Amino acid sequence: MNKKVLVVDDDPDVRSFVVTVLEENQYTPLVAHDGIEGLEMIEKSAPDLVILDVLMPRGSGIRLYRHLKTDDVLKNIPVIMFTGIALKSFLKSQKALDEFKGGEIPRPDIYLEKPVEPEELVRAIQKKIG
Amino acid sequence: MSANKILIVDDEEIIVRLLSMSLKSDGYETVTAFNGEQGLEVFKAESPDIVVTDIKMPGMDGLELLKRIKEINIETEVIIVTGHGDIDSTITALQFGASDFINKPVRDEALAIALERAKAKIHIRERLEEYTKNLEIKIAEATREIRRKSNFQRLLIHSSNDAIVAFDQDWKIVVYNPAAASIFGEKPSDVRNKMTIQDLYTPDIASIFMAEAEKKAEPEDMPWKEMVLQTTDGRKIPVQYATNVLRENNEFMGIVNFFQDLTEIKRLEKELVQSERLAAVGQTVSGLAHYVKNILIGLKGGSYVVDVGMKKNNTEKLKTGWKTIKKNISRVSDLTQDLLTYSKEREPEFEPCSPNEIVEDVMDLVSDFAAANDIKILKQTDPGVGEMILDPQTIHRALLNLVNNAMDACMEDEDTSKTFEILIKTSMDTENFMCFEVRDNGCGMDEETQRRLFNPMFSTKGGKGTGLGLLVTKKLVEEHKGTIETKTHLGQGTSFVVRLPYQKAGAVDIKEDES
Repeated sequence: MNKKVLVVDDDPDVRSFVVTVLEENQYTPLVAHDGIEGLEMIEKSAPDLVILDVLMPRGSGIRLYRHLKTDDVLKNIPVIMFTGIALKSFLKSQKALDEFKGGEIPRPDIYLEKPVEPEELVRAIQKKIG
Repeated sequence: MSANKILIVDDEEIIVRLLSMSLKSDGYETVTAFNGEQGLEVFKAESPDIVVTDIKMPGMDGLELLKRIKEINIETEVIIVTGHGDIDSTITALQFGASDFINKPVRDEALAIALERAKAKIHIRERLEEYTKNLEIKIAEATREIRRKSNFQRLLIHSSNDAIVAFDQDWKIVVYNPAAASIFGEKPSDVRNKMTIQDLYTPDIASIFMAEAEKKAEPEDMPWKEMVLQTTDGRKIPVQYATNVLRENNEFMGIVNFFQDLTEIKRLEKELVQSERLAAVGQTVSGLAHYVKNILIGLKGGSYVVDVGMKKNNTEKLKTGWKTIKKNISRVSDLTQDLLTYSKEREPEFEPCSPNEIVEDVMDLVSDFAAANDIKILKQTDPGVGEMILDPQTIHRALLNLVNNAMDACMEDEDTSKTFEILIKTSMDTENFMCFEVRDNGCGMDEETQRRLFNPMFSTKGGKGTGLGLLVTKKLVEEHKGTIETKTHLGQGTSFVVRLPYQKAGAVDIKEDES
């Protein structure tokens, strides 16, 4: 059976691109429009991998990422951050949040800065879930 | 003290000596003569203050001496010594100007009293002289001071950078300084005391100031106001002016106007706004780069989806990818237009149009996107807003920007239980103004966001906004001489109200009729 990959992004252009890449490479795409819907989908559909945007209205990727990584069950789901935000800025925000909330959240498994060639995205997915 | 030298004239030597001794012991200086001729000689040589002379003397007598002395110096005090009962000559002597007389034999007390009186008279006369002299000096000084002050004031008015024009109670121009001449263009010599208020000001402006005179305003109540002054030769000059009504004892004396030419200031203001705007575009560059990157992401993603669609002959994919590409092409074109609009000055292009129809056009443009995001777009257009002369492009761009923002505000809202609605309203405002409102029930804005709303490069939308939308909207509205206002409550929604001045359509353009 094809592996399920959830793409959480508010930009329909990005969603249709990622969905197409997934279909072309024999993954089953799932989509969510924002962080809140993303969490619902994760709990409901248990995807094998999450491709997560950072800046979204209604429950940002940062919030969803922290939620996943602090949940005993969900923390094992691999996450690819897929965003226009530079890695440096993202790590800075993580560090600030770590200090503010206590504890240390692990870095994302893979961090891809948009725009990304389809092959690069496929390689990243394959690296995590084959 | 003065008046200390006394000439004693008598043909009896002994009397002269006795008097002289007596007076010297009283502290006077004395000179003596023993007949009239000698008396006159001594008088000329010694210039005594007081003369005591016997009236009856051989040769030149006392009366003759008195006359001659008075001819030389009318102010000399002459005391006549008369024989007992010689009333006639005493009267004559007094008529000739003798100041006093004493009878023979001369008693010390009588002489002392007469001398004191003479001295007092001299003293008073001297004081009077001194006083008169001082008075003349003081008048000269005061005159000089007044002249100086009036010159000072004249120069002050003359050299003032503000134009000063003053009218007397009959509205004749009495003050008109060079700064006024440079605004109004009339020569001071042609204006001062020759023109009236109606000759210098256009009728509408003259009436403003004449009405000012009717008011019982306090003198200190003189706020600066701005207006565009039209000169008699047709030039239009932006000025700042103040008016003061001049009254004396509550009686109207005239008014004075102060003008400051704002031409240069207005020009600088315009330049400043322009350069600030260009700087804002510069500041926005980093935000823009982000935005452009997002467009690129869309284009790349879209073209991949199109490639896949072609390869697999999948129409659905082709459609999706093509839609993405088209959408991003229009984002590029919107951005270019926003940048051009924002960085260039633009005059509104007025033409007859129907704001309600523009509302329809904008609703058509956004309907797909709104439906895809569960946002209802409603309209409430006032049928009274018919065809009018406005710049349709301003309305279209402003409305589209505001509706796009409203949709973003709905999508940002974390409260997904809401039914999101955007209401576009048109209405007639006060005279000559029409008004449209875009109201959403989305996330609203906090104070910080409100404060920075019209700042360049401020965007709440991350890379998804340019930070130019509201700036462009505001600029367009202001170039149209309109206003934009916002009301917002965090979590409850936002409303933008734009008011634009319009002219009635059908205020026929004559040129078009003729052609």
